[in-house]
Amino acid sequence: MELLKVKNLKKIFPKHKVAAVDGVDISISKGEIYGLVGESGCGKSTIARAILRLIEVQEGSVLYKEQDLLKMPYRKMRAFRKSLQMIFQDPHTSLDPRVKIGEIIEEVFIIHDNLSQQERRNKTLETLEMVGLGEAYLGRLPSELSGGERQRVGIARALATDPEFIICDEPVSSLDISVQAQILNLLMDLQKRKNLTYLFISHDLGVVGSICDRVSVMRKGRFVETAPCEEIFASPKHEYTKTLLNASRLHFR
Amino acid sequence: MLKIEGLRVKYGADEVVRGVDLAVKKGECVGLVGESGCGKTTVGLSAARLIDARKGKIVSGKILFEGRDILEFDAEGLRKLRGRRISYVFQEPFSSLNPVFTVHEQLKEALREKGKAQEAISEILKSVGLEKISGKKNIYPHELSGGMQQRVMIAMAIASRPDLVILDEPTTALDVSVQNQILELIAELKEKMNLSILFISHDLRIVFSMADRINVMYAGRIVESGPKKDIVSQPRHPYTKGLIGSIPSLKNRKKRFEAIEGKTPLFSDLPKGCKFYPRCKFRIEKCEDEEPAIENISGDHFARCVRAKELV
Ligand SMILES: Nc1ncnc2c1ncn2[C@@H]1O[C@H](COP(=O)(O)OP(=O)(O)OP(=O)(O)O)[C@@H](O)[C@H]1O
Ligand SMILES: Nc1ncnc2c1ncn2[C@@H]1O[C@H](COP(=O)(O)OP(=O)(O)OP(=O)(O)O)[C@@H](O)[C@H]1O
Ligand code: SF4
Ligand SMILES: [Mg+2]
Ligand SMILES: [Mg+2]
Repeated sequence: MELLKVKNLKKIFPKHKVAAVDGVDISISKGEIYGLVGESGCGKSTIARAILRLIEVQEGSVLYKEQDLLKMPYRKMRAFRKSLQMIFQDPHTSLDPRVKIGEIIEEVFIIHDNLSQQERRNKTLETLEMVGLGEAYLGRLPSELSGGERQRVGIARALATDPEFIICDEPVSSLDISVQAQILNLLMDLQKRKNLTYLFISHDLGVVGSICDRVSVMRKGRFVETAPCEEIFASPKHEYTKTLLNASRLHFR
Repeated sequence: MLKIEGLRVKYGADEVVRGVDLAVKKGECVGLVGESGCGKTTVGLSAARLIDARKGKIVSGKILFEGRDILEFDAEGLRKLRGRRISYVFQEPFSSLNPVFTVHEQLKEALREKGKAQEAISEILKSVGLEKISGKKNIYPHELSGGMQQRVMIAMAIASRPDLVILDEPTTALDVSVQNQILELIAELKEKMNLSILFISHDLRIVFSMADRINVMYAGRIVESGPKKDIVSQPRHPYTKGLIGSIPSLKNRKKRFEAIEGKTPLFSDLPKGCKFYPRCKFRIEKCEDEEPAIENISGDHFARCVRAKELV
């Protein structure tokens, strides 16, 4: 079943002559892990933000379960936001600096679920523990965490709503290999157990190659190639994909 | 150039840097790796005296910059030091760029020689792969992508032509091709300007490609240090071995990733003996009682493990 369908998405920022996203089409099935790779500044985060209507676009539609998110009244959109989550690229700017970690997560349960205080506490702790952070973090502010710990709070917050679809924008970029492995295993387990769907943005081809079903390679606002993951890695068609793969070979042992 | 001796740093009651020694020679790139939350950024910030005094405190130790302890510098001395001699690239670029000034204004401010500023700015932006904004004077940091912000930070750091640069996860948001370009640029500056570099990263692959020497940190202390080739070919500490073993590869599609088992210890509740004990595959009884001292393995290679000499 097709869960998300993006059609002809176009975004031009003021001051820019060229479009940051220039007519992009995406189709993601339920349960799929869809990778998005491409050079820095090519428009990946812009697509993510446009899907969730965090920015206004000039053209295009975003069908989620066949309803156009871009045309929906905000009230209705809010109902969808529970099942549609995003892990932001820059956790520092997406977490409210005045709110403690425990409250950031608990808030999610207050908004979305009808739970007793004790149940909320337990779920908060459970969620933080899934990303390797425990009780000791509940009372801290975002600024009192390391970079990688903040990134994991962002992941925990997205997972807390028990979503169906998650846009992951560079979700593990500041995590060391070992914690990264725990998080990727967690994302893969959840995907299998609950049949979650991900749009997975990453610059790490190793990570994309090992978890995604299909990948789109993006350059200067456009998709240059979309194919099943094995195919892209085994026989890249587009010159730019080849360049990207060659550059990353240096990093694999 | 930089010598850190016996550094201890506390946030509240937690001591998160628990006696770190580390040195960066002139023209050398020294890597600092370790898992999320082990104290890398805290060491880096301390080395430039950038720890927020409301949150953290350097409890003891020395930070020698060209032989002088900067912990004893006054505000004026520090200002001079940070403006010209040491520059810092922060882990989260957006939070450290000033949102109310344009990228051009901030770069201009950072330039050491103010003559021909426009040319110099264009040159620097080009070297970090941002030629497309070099003609645009009215761009603010929030109008850039994550990776572009990171490159602006790097451009600012080198604009002042420092002697020492501390790079905290400088390429986390960058795709491989831009990342390679930046790493080459840094290597080139190191050669040309005899720049000294403290390179902080969680990514062993990148540290391997950049550093002359590598320090591996675990739970607030260095557990292994040595020339790159020794660490790559003969890691002695079980934690370092685990790190190297879990480098991902394309061969294992859709398989579970290999992680070092167990959880990162909490600073408020560290094991008494070796801090890696609960997760260590090689542990023996005596590891539990006392934290091992750092010991010389050979030449310039050190490890903090009672079994380092037998674990080849
Ligand atoms: N708020 C904004 N105002 C103006 N321009 C913007 C804004 N946000 C992004 N841009 C521009 O849009 C382009 C695409 O940015 P985007 O953040 O989507 O890139 P990205 O692919 O996510 O890159 P990265 O890998 O570096 O995060 C860039 O040229 C950027 O400068
Ligand atoms: N202001 C603070 N108050 C309390 N604890 C703090 C504070 N800042 C950092 N910490 C803790 O200190 C430890 C070291 O943090 P640091 O930022 O140095 O880690 P790091 O090695 O750079 O990690 P990362 O790779 O995730 O960036 C972490 O466990 C963190 O939770
Ligand atoms: S001292 Fe013992 S527990 Fe610690 S790393 Fe060495 S073998 Fe493992
Ligand atoms: Mg981005
Ligand atoms: Mg850090």
